[in-house]
Amino acid sequence: MTDISVVLQVLVSGCLMGLIYALIAVGFTFIFGVLDVVNFAHGQMVMGGMFAAFALYVAFGLDPFVSLIAIAPLFFVLGLVVFRLLIGRIVESTHASHTVVTLGLFIVLENVVNLIYGGDLRGINTSYTSRSLHLGTVSMPIGQLAAAVVAIAVVFGLTLFLNYSSVGMAVRAAASNRLGAQLVGVNVRRVYAITFAIGAALTGIAGAVLAPVLAFDPFIGGSLMLRSFAIAIIGGLGNLPGAIAAALFIGIIESLASLMLKGSLSNAVTFGILMLVLLFRPNGLFVRTSR
Amino acid sequence: MTPLLKIDGVSKRFGGLQALSDVSMAVETGEIVGVIGPNGAGKTTLFNVASGFIVPDSGSVMLDGVRVDGRKPHHLCRLGLARTFQVTKPFHNLTILEAVRIGALNHTDSMSKATKLAQEVLARVRLDDRADQLSRQLTVIQRKRLEIARALATSPRIILLDEVAAGLRGFEIRELIELIREIAAAGIAVVMIEHVLEALMATATRVIVLNFGCKIAEGSPAAIVKDDKVVEAYLGTEALHA
Amino acid sequence: MTRLAWPLLAALVVAALMLPFGIHEQLLTAAITALQLIYLAQCWNIVAGYAGQFSLGHSVFLGIGAYTSTVLFLTFGVSPWLGAIAGAALAAVAGVALGALAFRYRVRGVFFAVLTLGSMEVVRGIVPNLDAIGGANGLFIPMADAPYNMLFNDRRPYYWIALAMVVLMAVLTAVMERSKFGQYLLAIREDEDAAEASGVNAFRSKLMAVALSAALTAFGGTFYAQFMLYIAPDTTFVFEHQLNMMLGTMVGGTGTVAGPIVGSAVFSVIAEALRHLPLGENIRIEPVSQIVYASILMIMMLVLPGGLVSLVRRNRRLSAMAVQGDTG
Repeated sequence: MTDISVVLQVLVSGCLMGLIYALIAVGFTFIFGVLDVVNFAHGQMVMGGMFAAFALYVAFGLDPFVSLIAIAPLFFVLGLVVFRLLIGRIVESTHASHTVVTLGLFIVLENVVNLIYGGDLRGINTSYTSRSLHLGTVSMPIGQLAAAVVAIAVVFGLTLFLNYSSVGMAVRAAASNRLGAQLVGVNVRRVYAITFAIGAALTGIAGAVLAPVLAFDPFIGGSLMLRSFAIAIIGGLGNLPGAIAAALFIGIIESLASLMLKGSLSNAVTFGILMLVLLFRPNGLFVRTSR
Repeated sequence: MTPLLKIDGVSKRFGGLQALSDVSMAVETGEIVGVIGPNGAGKTTLFNVASGFIVPDSGSVMLDGVRVDGRKPHHLCRLGLARTFQVTKPFHNLTILEAVRIGALNHTDSMSKATKLAQEVLARVRLDDRADQLSRQLTVIQRKRLEIARALATSPRIILLDEVAAGLRGFEIRELIELIREIAAAGIAVVMIEHVLEALMATATRVIVLNFGCKIAEGSPAAIVKDDKVVEAYLGTEALHA
Repeated sequence: MTRLAWPLLAALVVAALMLPFGIHEQLLTAAITALQLIYLAQCWNIVAGYAGQFSLGHSVFLGIGAYTSTVLFLTFGVSPWLGAIAGAALAAVAGVALGALAFRYRVRGVFFAVLTLGSMEVVRGIVPNLDAIGGANGLFIPMADAPYNMLFNDRRPYYWIALAMVVLMAVLTAVMERSKFGQYLLAIREDEDAAEASGVNAFRSKLMAVALSAALTAFGGTFYAQFMLYIAPDTTFVFEHQLNMMLGTMVGGTGTVAGPIVGSAVFSVIAEALRHLPLGENIRIEPVSQIVYASILMIMMLVLPGGLVSLVRRNRRLSAMAVQGDTG
């Protein structure tokens, strides 16, 4: 029956995109949960990852899933640098200063890339970007599928890191109680730097993985950031599993919306949901309400 | 006669911690009531509930017969309840005069009247010579006086003081005792969380003891100090049998 | 204000009034644009500098003002002088709606920033689909000499209107600052809890600040429309206006009367200087300017959060933006 297959397709497409959104949003909510900083430049960092993959593709013909291996550590280091120069200076300051500094970073990133590459839409076409996997009546673009797989792997890896490595546990300690963590000997500043660097690496990975999936220009960061923010709020700020659930939720809703509404309205849909959530459940939809 | 402040069966849980458990107390006009207990007993939580910063899970707070639990702090302030914060909250970038004037604007729209009231209050807490200094520049002790000044400027009928004697030395404590007595003499009820026994004993007419969120004793300061349950709470069971 | 300041100020105002008689047409346009910038910065200052609520989507209020008065004018022949009031009212409602959502449950201040930014993005996405108000192509206002419709052939009346707006805003800000409302806003900015404990209804005051700021910004939007004679989603609901507002206020000093004026003036000079920068032929000026502006913004935040004004003010108030005294 066409109806069920349409619904199934919408669900599957939504889940795939949702997982990709999760990859982007997880870094955002991670930085927020630990540093208490809302990184306005997050979307532009992902954009940077996209263009990094693009540059490597154009120069060396590297498949983005391969250049991942180089991009992740590169962005990790860049994250450390940015932390040292900028973020580290304001991490203990007011939220207004967070906003201004990360906003400034947003603008600089957008325009630097604009200067180098111009404002035209770019894309990466590999051997598989136009092919899809067919399961029954559902078709899944290979690019999206691969990206979703990477997303799952990354989230899994991050969870392992946070729960089983000593650095990860230091991160969790610093996130829940800064003073307490310091008192037991955690070098909170270093934890912050590492957290931001991991967040940056995550954006690099997300960008590389998204490059074959979406067309992109230097200005895509804004809507990516807004969507990440919406997802982070709906999932509960700082709540990693919540962010993933929220990302899937948004992915499916947007998939449904694209069926019924025009493309330029997808921002409006996400935003509308954000407003509703803020209206009724400002702590997030997927947060255990502690009474 | 209805008590000025009546807290009835208030409970509050934070996640796994039961911060307050069925706590009740009443304060009449003109009283000075002390609230003591070991750290973590729930004293500041009680203040937060009484002043509208926290909504209790159960129970009620009545201010002069009017139910106020669940109302916002500014509403309670309008009705005559003022409080200080344990960790002082100065309006950093405002001058001391401006900071106190915010409180003074509670019952008037006139800037000139408010300024005058603020100046009077500053004189009472002896900060009037620093009226034009930025709040940010005060020492911790001075900030505590500013806290009290700001609360007083709202023309309260009852004032909640949260550990205002902490860190004070000899003559400062005596000055504070004097100030508290002046406040009570002016007809303002005082409820004070205090660890500094000297200040407490010299001012409070009645003391309530909290431990682990429950009220374990109530009585005159002299009686409380000898109460077994109180000794046990502070010093442990061993001390009881010492 | 020292005794020297008053005659100086008066002289400045007189000079400003006489300006159109002495200068080139082109320079006059630059002056009008600069005055516009100053006015918008002053409006943003009310909600961000005084109330401490960082709005990132203030362009949306500009756009609401511009579109409301323009649509009313083109479709119903309502004079923009009146249409501006409608636009201001609409913007105030929008601001209150956003604020009500963002200020509930004592959530973080950044919520307001993102909500306003998001609303700007959303409106920019919706308007192209509404052909009744011009769609993606925007709306053109035919040039005419009709003072009762805020249209002038000569540039000079525009200049004087803009100047009047700036002066009135300065007066309004000064009066507000000294009023109970203004003091309450400052208290909220410094410490919302302490303000509440002192009897300040923070929620209501913040909403009023947003409504006021939004309405005033909308007036600027109407002027913008009547001066540029063309509005479109991609030129109106854009971050560029926001950046200009923010830069002007933050460079000069938030939460002060002189800050937005000084800052925007300095910023306009920088912008003009950048335009004459000798760049290579392949390097476009627009992204370079943006990078310079953003860098200035970040440096100001890190080094001189009180803005230029804090260098002269006797009290040396740091901007609340940098001191741990904020509410969100």
